[in-house]
This record gives sequence, structure tokens and C-alpha cells, in this order.
Amino acid sequence: MAEKWIYWFDELRTTDNDMVGKKCANLGEMVHLGMRVPPGFAISVDGYEQFMETTGAGAEVRKYLEQNQDDLVNKVDKQIEASRFIRGVIESRPMPPDMIQELWSHYDRLCEQTICEDVPVAARSSGAVSMPGQMETYLNVCGKKNLADKVVQVWGSAFTTRAIAFRLEQGMALDKAPIGVAVLKMIEARCAGVTLTVLPTTGDLSKIVVEGNWGLGESVVSGEITPDSFVIDKQSGEIVSTIGDKTKMVVYKDTGTCIINVPEDQQTCACLVKEEIEEIVRIAKMVEAHFDTPQDMEWVIAPDPPFPDNIYWVQTRPAKFSQKKEDTAEYLAELMTRVFKM
Amino acid sequence: MKMYDCVPGLEFDPERDFEQSPAWFLDGTHSVPPWTPMFGWFWINFCRHGMQYGAEKLSLPTVKGWDWRFMNGGGYLTLLLVNSEEEKQRREEKFRKEILPFIQDYEGLWKGYVDEILGLYENLKALDLDEATNIELLDNFEETINTCRRMWEIHMYMMYGTYTAYILFENMCRELAGIDDTSPLFHNLVSGFDNKVFQVDRRLWECSKRAQEDGLADIFLENEPANIAAALATSEKGKAFMKDFMDFMNEDGWRMQRMSEINLPTWVEDPTPALGNVKQFLLKGGDFNLDERRQQNAEKREAAEKEVLAKVPEEQRGWFEQLMRLAQKCGIFSEEHDHYLDLYTHAVMRRSALGVGRRWVKAGAIDDPEDMFFLMPDEVRRAALAPDQFNMRYIVDRRKAEWKEWQKTPNPPALLKEGFDLDQAMGVLVQSNDPIALKVVVGAMPEVRPELKADLYGTCGSPGMAEGTARVIMTEDELHLVEEGDILVAATTSPSWTPIFSMIKGVIVDRGASLSHAAIVGREYGIPVVMNVFEGTQKIKSGQRVKVDANLGTVYILDK
Repeated sequence: MAEKWIYWFDELRTTDNDMVGKKCANLGEMVHLGMRVPPGFAISVDGYEQFMETTGAGAEVRKYLEQNQDDLVNKVDKQIEASRFIRGVIESRPMPPDMIQELWSHYDRLCEQTICEDVPVAARSSGAVSMPGQMETYLNVCGKKNLADKVVQVWGSAFTTRAIAFRLEQGMALDKAPIGVAVLKMIEARCAGVTLTVLPTTGDLSKIVVEGNWGLGESVVSGEITPDSFVIDKQSGEIVSTIGDKTKMVVYKDTGTCIINVPEDQQTCACLVKEEIEEIVRIAKMVEAHFDTPQDMEWVIAPDPPFPDNIYWVQTRPAKFSQKKEDTAEYLAELMTRVFKM
Repeated sequence: MKMYDCVPGLEFDPERDFEQSPAWFLDGTHSVPPWTPMFGWFWINFCRHGMQYGAEKLSLPTVKGWDWRFMNGGGYLTLLLVNSEEEKQRREEKFRKEILPFIQDYEGLWKGYVDEILGLYENLKALDLDEATNIELLDNFEETINTCRRMWEIHMYMMYGTYTAYILFENMCRELAGIDDTSPLFHNLVSGFDNKVFQVDRRLWECSKRAQEDGLADIFLENEPANIAAALATSEKGKAFMKDFMDFMNEDGWRMQRMSEINLPTWVEDPTPALGNVKQFLLKGGDFNLDERRQQNAEKREAAEKEVLAKVPEEQRGWFEQLMRLAQKCGIFSEEHDHYLDLYTHAVMRRSALGVGRRWVKAGAIDDPEDMFFLMPDEVRRAALAPDQFNMRYIVDRRKAEWKEWQKTPNPPALLKEGFDLDQAMGVLVQSNDPIALKVVVGAMPEVRPELKADLYGTCGSPGMAEGTARVIMTEDELHLVEEGDILVAATTSPSWTPIFSMIKGVIVDRGASLSHAAIVGREYGIPVVMNVFEGTQKIKSGQRVKVDANLGTVYILDK
């Protein structure tokens, strides 16, 4: 095991995308930008490939695919069967001892850093190409043995039925799965949400929108509840707040999450205070300026430590905002200002 | 008694005015030959006001309109630039909102203003000037002043917004499709539309067809334009024709041969120029079909639209097409505004001033109604209610003598502070990014290409090639000299020249940009126009054979 295959986030940059996958590379870049991300490390695509080669799982998967590839196209039942078989092959192999050693030594360091025995972590897939929602994430993983199992399971999730179908559709090789794994400390969420440095509906670049709810960010992203919404003017800093009726929230439970009711007295209470909004906006503006394009970001506010050290960022990526037809006028107006700058 | 300046407060004062700006440009398009004092007063005051009003209402980021001065019948202008970056940003933010009405509903915006201004004209025209009391006459004149002021507000607000869109479209064509406003393909994109000026032209053409059908063609062909009306009055059919013709004049004849002056009769007073236009259509013969020509242009445009849109990346096509539609309306506005705004307002100004003038002649204050053009509004007010009490001749005589002097020596093209040269001055003009300065005043500079061995180099105002006899026309009075198939050579052209475009094969103008009159009309008539040749009227003599290739911007004098 000569090659390095585990990296701390601060060793990574965006350019390491192919080595560790998008999520990990992105977290690395965020650390370099001075954003607080949950402490943790990245397992590279090499790590996955070494596992597959040394355990012989790779050879078995290839053999299976060679025999069955032609049957898989457009046949969902065959794809389900393939997924079950391949994931079975992968998950049945224990991680080789030298890899286990390496993984555990990193986990030990993380426990030391976070001053927490058997620190609970999330093991998240990190594909080098975007494969939204196709691979698994395991939350609340505690202890070394558990971690080793879950990392293998994340690798196995490169062959979920959806991932197989996607690769077939895209004409990508079935046996190659450029998958990294992010191992991060679980952050308890007092509240969480998203921040966009552009109004997605109008494309207005002069505003930042922050949306949040109690508990984990999933409830905000999924759109199942009406979150609190804060629209901030980038120049003046003026905040326009719309407090949502937040009846439900998402919390961690075992190795997953569940939805619970928000206590009645908190439902119409703003989940963020002014100083937190201002800190979120400060970081968001800095990140947007760094990438020179509007950002779509996810944050979590932990119950402790005290502000501002309790604000964690878990994601930033270029924002998608449509130039809708009714916005063409504003877009043209914006272009017309250029006439005066020639 | 101390006599006022022609334009009190806005007469050019070298000592003060060079302190404000080192360069003042002569408005050669509108104030050559020099204006009468009254017209100068109206123009300097209200064109100036309108530009500042338009720039302020739109919150143009870099320019606050133009300042104007009057000198010896010439209008001199300089730009009012926004100085600080901070202010530019503040203005830009507001501009984004203020420009939206142009993008969202251009036609509605323009139609609203046309209706407003036509309403003002109707009010003025409703008064029978010869039956009116002195009080009513003065009120009519005061309302004329207000109408002129409002006209310029609408004019410049619309023009700034419109030309901004047009320039953006040009830039985007260059960026996304690799063509600019000197390219023939670009011109095909923005032509082939109907507008009010062409509708008038078309009515004249229809009159020529009616004259033919009614057996009146010979009267037109055998008489000089000035005698046609009298000759028509000798027959019943001719009388009926003239009655309908004058109804048409009362609707659409509120214009004079010179766009920016009030000392020539309107078509309503004297339809001679319009009858001359009918005669020109008759001379072209029966097979000439104005509609067919326009249709061909529309087809060319549709083909050009397809070609250009195909070059634009698909995800950009949506807004690009909307911008293209907007830019196409710019050409329509450029022609129509002359009809509804400048020409019409100046015609009602003339009407009102002459109404007062006739009363004053009767009362003995002046000798000729047209002497009013040598007075200013304050002097009109002085004698308006009791004209029999005043003798205004001493003012008229002195101003008329001055005006005659102004005609003898041309005004200098620019007034420059010592140590400041024309190139520097032009640089300031370009840096302002003022849309009107760029599209009407400066234009693109011609590229001299020695390998083409041309006698003159200009830019393409309207694509095409033509060869013919040169006809150098310096003023509207000479328009009747133009013959079928000529190549018109002029310093610049104005909307009242439009009808001769159906006779000529090409145009060469000394100055002009892509939204100048000659370019727009040339495109609509599908004839080549070479612009910005600077010395065409000096180098070319009437009668010489010339060849123009507008696509290359070249002019060849074939028999030197």
C-alpha cells in the first residue's frame, strides 16, 4: 500500500476532482477559502480501486458484467438483479488489513481532533462525475469497525440500480466507478438551510437569499415545508425577512434521518438571528467573489460551540438560475448599460 | 431701448463658454444655412431642454444631455458628461429600471406619445387665427411654445432610449454574428418596414395613379410644379382632384421643405412640392410599383433574420431575437419621429406666428407677417394684446440685416478653445458613449483602402452598387433638378427629401451614421448609400458619371 489514498480536506483543492470526487474536492476548496467545514477526510478513487483489485471483487464484477452486459440494456429487472449481485460481491469482501490500518489511523486522528471517542461521522459518496442521488450516504457512523463496513457499502453503492441504469444511458463503462468517499464529523443541527447569491426566480444579482429551517437542511432542500426566507441586499445589507410556518423538521436518527414535528412555540420563530445571517452573507459574498459566479450553498448551525464557530458549510456550487422569458427585459436592460461602458 | 440677444442667456460667449467646455460643435444637419432668430430661439431653448430631460429621465449613466449655444444663426453643442464613477454607478442603477418601458412595450410607449402630441396640435389648429381675439392669438402662441417644449421632451427621451437599444443590437450582432452596421446583411435586418413617412409617400404615389386614371396626367407633365394647381382648377375633374388632394395635405401636409426652419411654406399653405412629387411618380411611368419594392425589402429582411439567427448560439437566441425586434423599431421611430415631432411642430409654430403676424400687419406694427421670424417670444408678448400701439420694425430690420449677414459666411464647424484640436474634441464625443452623438453626429469613420483606387471612401449606409449621373444638391430648393436615375450627392438629407429617393439610383452624403435619414430611407428604397465621405459635395460636380459600391464604401468619379 505505497500510494496515498486518504487525504485531509485541507490537502485538497477543486483540481483534485478526479482523484477524490467532486464533494471531497469541493470541501477542500472550501477549507482553503476559510470556510468552516465539518472536520474529516477523503478516501480517493484509488482507494476504491485498490480495494476492488486486492480483494478480487473487481475481477468478479467484470466477469459478471461481461456475461450479462447485453441483457442489461433497458431491462430494469436485469438491472436490479445485477445491482443485488454486484453489491453482494463487494460488501462480502472485508477491507484488506493494510487499508483498514490506514483508515483507522485517520479516524483516530479525527477523534483526537474533535475530542470525542468514536466520533459519529457521515460516510458520503463523492463521485468524480455528477451522479445525483445514485449512490448511498450513511449517517451517524460510530466506531472503527462500523466505519470500515460503511465505507465498503458506499463503494458498493456505485452499483445501485439507478447508478447502473444511468451509466448505461450515458454510454459510460459499467465496470468503472470513479467514486470517492467523504468521511466527516456529524454536526448536530440547531437549524440548517441554503444560501443563494442570486435570486433564482429573477436572476437579480444584487440580492442574496437565505432559507432555513430547524433541524437538518434536507427539509429546506426538499421543499416540503415553508422555510424562513431572508433576502439581503448585497450593497446595503438590508434584510427582508419572511418567517415560514415551520411545522416539521428533519433530525438524525440511528444511521439515517426522520421527520418530526417542530414544537409549537418554535414554528413561527425565526430560525436565524441577525448576526448569524450577517455572518452567512459575509462568507457567501466572499465565496461568490472567489468563484466569480453566483453560488448555491448549504450551511448548518450547530447548538455549540458559540457563534460564530457554530456555523458550518457543507456545500457550495455554481447556482442555477434560469433567465426566464419574463426576465429577458431585465437582462436586456442590464446589457444596455454596457452601451455606456465601451 | 436695449435690444435683446436672439436667444437670451444662450448666446455663445467665448469667455465663459470655453471655461465650461473647450469644444462646441456646429449642428450642421439642422443649422446650415443659418436659422432665422425665432426658429433659433425655439431650437436652442427646447432641443437643449429635451436632451437634458431625456438623459435625466432615463438616467443615462455617462451623459446628462447636451448644452447648446446660439451663434450667428448656428446651433453649437457640447456634451454634459457625468464626472464621478460613483455618480455613474448611481445613474446606471436607475437606468436599468427606466429603460424597461422601451423593452417591454415599445410600440405602446411610442403610440402614447404620438397621441399626446397630435392632441396638442389639434388644440392649436382648432383656433381660427383670422377670427380670433388678440388674447386668443397670444394664448395660441404661448401654447405653441409649450407644445414645442413638450415635443422636444418626447423627442429626446424616445431618441435616447431607442438609440441605446439600437447600439446594443449592433454590438451584439458584431459579437455573436460577426456583422456590424456597415455590413449589408445588417442593413437588410433593419429595413423593410412600413412607417408614417412611407405612408405619406405611398399616398402621393396613389395620387399619381388617380391623376392617370382621371386623365389629368398631361396637366402634371406639361406644367412646372408651381403651375399645376392653377392648371387643374380649369377642369371639373381637376377641381375634384385638388379638393381631395388638399384634404390629404390637411392631414399629412404639416411639414416644410426644410425640416428645421419655419420660413418656408408648409404643404398646407402651398402644395407645390407635393404636386411636384406626384409629377415625379408620373414621370416614372405606369409600371413603377412602390408596394412591390417594399415587399422585396421585407422578403430580404426575413431571409437576413434567418441567416443571422442561425449564427447566434441557441441559448442566446431568445433575448437576441427580442433585441432584434426592438432594434427594427428604432428605424421606424427614426423616420416617424420627424413626421410627428419636428416637422409637425415646426409647421404649427409657423402657423401660429403667421397668425399673429397677419394681425400685426393690419395693426401697423410690422410690414410682412413673415417678419415675425425675426422676433422672439418676449417681443411677441410686448405687442400681442395691443399691436396698434407698437412699432416693431426697428427690431425686425436690425435682426433681418444680421440674418442676411449670417448667410454670407458659413459658420465654423466647431468652436475650439485655444490649444484644443478637432481630433481631441471628437475623442470626447466618442468617449461620452452618448447614443445620439454616436448614431447621428459622428458615425463610423471610413476606412481608406488604397488598393480599391476609389476617389472617395465612406461607410455603407445602405447596401448595393449603382452607376449614374451625379446630382449635387445643397438645398431643398434644388430638389427639382434631380432626374430619374441620378446619383444624389448631398451634405446630408432630411425627411422632406424622401420622395426623390424613388427616382434616384444611389446616394453619396458627406456626413451620416447608420440612423441618419439618408441611410434609413436608402435601405427602405433598396438603393445604395455611401456615407461619411466628407468631401463628396466638393469633389463631385453635377453631371459627372459616378459609380458607388456601398458594400465597400467606395465612390468612383468616372469622367474626371
